[in-house]
Amino acid sequence: MINNRLFKLKMMGKPGVTLFAFLLFATIHVSAKDYLVTDFGAKADGITLNTRTIQRAIDYISENGGGRLVFDAGNYVTGTIYLKSNVTLHLKYGATILGSTNPFDYVSDPKIKWVAMIFAVNQNNIGITGRGTINGRGFITANNLVNYIHRGIFKDELKYDRPREWRRPQNVYFRECTNVTITDITLRDPASWNQTYDQCKNLYVDNIYVDSKSYWNNDGIDIVDCDGVVLKNSYFDAADDVLCFKSHDANSICQNVVVENCIGRSSANGLKFGTVSRGGFRNFKIKNITIFDTFRSAITFAAVDGGIIENIEVDSVRSINTGNVIFLRIGDRWSKGKKPSMKNIRISNVYAEVPIGKPDAGYNYEGPVEDNPRNISPASIVGLPDYKIQDVKLKNIEIVYPGAGNPLYAYRGTSPADLDSIPEMPARYPEFSQWKELPAWGFYVRHAEGIEFENVILRAQKKDYRPAIVMDDVKGGSFKEVIFTEPESEGKKQIIQHNTEGVTVY
Amino acid sequence: MKVYKIIIINALLLWSFSLTAKEYKASLFGAVSDGITLNTGSIQYAIDYISENGGGRLVFYVGRYLTGSIQLKSNVVIELKEGAVLVAAPSIYDYDGPENRNALLWAEKQDSIGVVGKGVIEGQGTLVLESIKTQRKKGYLKENIGSLCPALIYMKGCNSITIEGINLREACGNVQFYNGCTLVSISNITTVSTSVENSQGILLSECDRVNLSDSFFDTSGKELSQAGASKNLSIVNNINKDGKKIR
Repeated sequence: MINNRLFKLKMMGKPGVTLFAFLLFATIHVSAKDYLVTDFGAKADGITLNTRTIQRAIDYISENGGGRLVFDAGNYVTGTIYLKSNVTLHLKYGATILGSTNPFDYVSDPKIKWVAMIFAVNQNNIGITGRGTINGRGFITANNLVNYIHRGIFKDELKYDRPREWRRPQNVYFRECTNVTITDITLRDPASWNQTYDQCKNLYVDNIYVDSKSYWNNDGIDIVDCDGVVLKNSYFDAADDVLCFKSHDANSICQNVVVENCIGRSSANGLKFGTVSRGGFRNFKIKNITIFDTFRSAITFAAVDGGIIENIEVDSVRSINTGNVIFLRIGDRWSKGKKPSMKNIRISNVYAEVPIGKPDAGYNYEGPVEDNPRNISPASIVGLPDYKIQDVKLKNIEIVYPGAGNPLYAYRGTSPADLDSIPEMPARYPEFSQWKELPAWGFYVRHAEGIEFENVILRAQKKDYRPAIVMDDVKGGSFKEVIFTEPESEGKKQIIQHNTEGVTVY
Repeated sequence: MKVYKIIIINALLLWSFSLTAKEYKASLFGAVSDGITLNTGSIQYAIDYISENGGGRLVFYVGRYLTGSIQLKSNVVIELKEGAVLVAAPSIYDYDGPENRNALLWAEKQDSIGVVGKGVIEGQGTLVLESIKTQRKKGYLKENIGSLCPALIYMKGCNSITIEGINLREACGNVQFYNGCTLVSISNITTVSTSVENSQGILLSECDRVNLSDSFFDTSGKELSQAGASKNLSIVNNINKDGKKIR
């Protein structure tokens, strides 16, 4: 068709236009050129190990102007492959890339020092698209690796009776890549984290489906020290943190990030900054996320390794059946002299329900029962005496708690001595439950400056022995339209202030 | 004193014997003998592991072990028990080798290596050739067929090589190629490689001290040919399919 038109144009005696049109066509054609992976001899039989064939196809396309490597419906087994510049893996509906279950079919990248099925290092204009699936079959691979470790032919300390995370294959690990597109695909069952984008620029993730609960440390997505990220319209079900932002490098930062319209379930946290938080996190706009049936917190921001967290806006959150709702924490774990900070955090339009039971009961790789005895933990904003959390605004928030805190089961009073006895635990792995029993059922705020609550409704469904809010070492702030509902609690003092100055309660 | 010396010498002997003879079964490393699982990763890991841990034998028992290119390392001997078959992968992309020369089993600058036993290395030459032709036709491979066709064994710059007893079948390229190697001992092998044109049995180039004895050759190319001059060759009691002595 196009050739015919070009021909006609030429016949009309407009060689300039023709040439221009031809060049345009040529460039479009080059950038969109499709290659079938089966054309290179890959077999979609679910048995043949296609590693080398797929690699050759990627290399060929990258060396010949770029294009898409297309996988038609079928099952393609592979070990480690490296994606190269200007190549997109396009998985059509029904196409599945299956990870080999043999750990020796995977490579530990010499720079990254982690293992993955699909690596890309220092590449540009790459992607994985289409409605197909990447299935790591990680449970089998991880257990095969355990066997080799017990046989003595593979070295690993088997900490917690599992191979270390970096020795188990992830599905995808891209490092220092620019213009990365991940759309429409399904990612399943890695042996470690699912997909990591580390120090990438311009990462676009849209409409992906992640089912990632086959083995320990199965995160949903890890975005590490990236600059310019759009993550939207995606669904995550993961054994470990789902929407997970990290900062591995003290000299890098994860910044300029938009997250929109995502749904997540986790046996750990929903939206998480950290735990590794060396450089930090800056300029995030997160809008319209739903977290459900999640063991730990819907939102966890952890600055525990010397990194910063600033200019973070979270708008419109539904958090249903999650163990906690908001957990902001400064710690001092691997800071190595760097000063952690957290400031200018806006969280608005949140509706949340916290259950009395275990939110992830029945899932494989359930979160661990720990930090007992404690009654249902409150949301918390907890800095350190030397590192205060600054300028946090919570607006239009409704959290429904079960209440029913029983002082005979676990008790933390609100006397100055009781409150001062709560340990700081700066080096402890940050979890909302780390203090065991906390003295409030709704919010616990410690070592903070500039805390604003506006239109915050905290509901306890049963009477609780604790007050709704406890503040300790808070400097400045205001509580406007903060409403508590708790049965049989008329006249109860719901806000306790300790060592606190300049907080106005309207 | 004498008694002590004898004990010590015996202990040393035993120790060195156990070092060289340490046996590792292929299944230890997850190699699967079903003929369809590509074992390249497991076999390579096994060879690396054995080489790094003092050397030994990697033993394959009865079964068909599909593999792509594997690289032999110092002090590792592959033993193919009777009935064991190393089956070459059909796709050309499963091969590599030194200086873009493909081979199923290859080594570069390694010492004390070998392939022994009564088992088979099956090159699947026809299938590999088919893969090369198809990929060339599509333009994904540019090199000529001859330079792409994998040898079954290619050793470059290696010392102390033992090839003993095995059956070598149907290479796509040459069956064995020794380039700049010393102390090469090849004995009691059976080579049948006729399905692809001009498959040479053994190609020698600039080798020193090569013993070839008691072997049978049925090949489409020359049974034994020399590129660069080799020295100190001993070629004894080898015949081809017509009963002709090979020299």
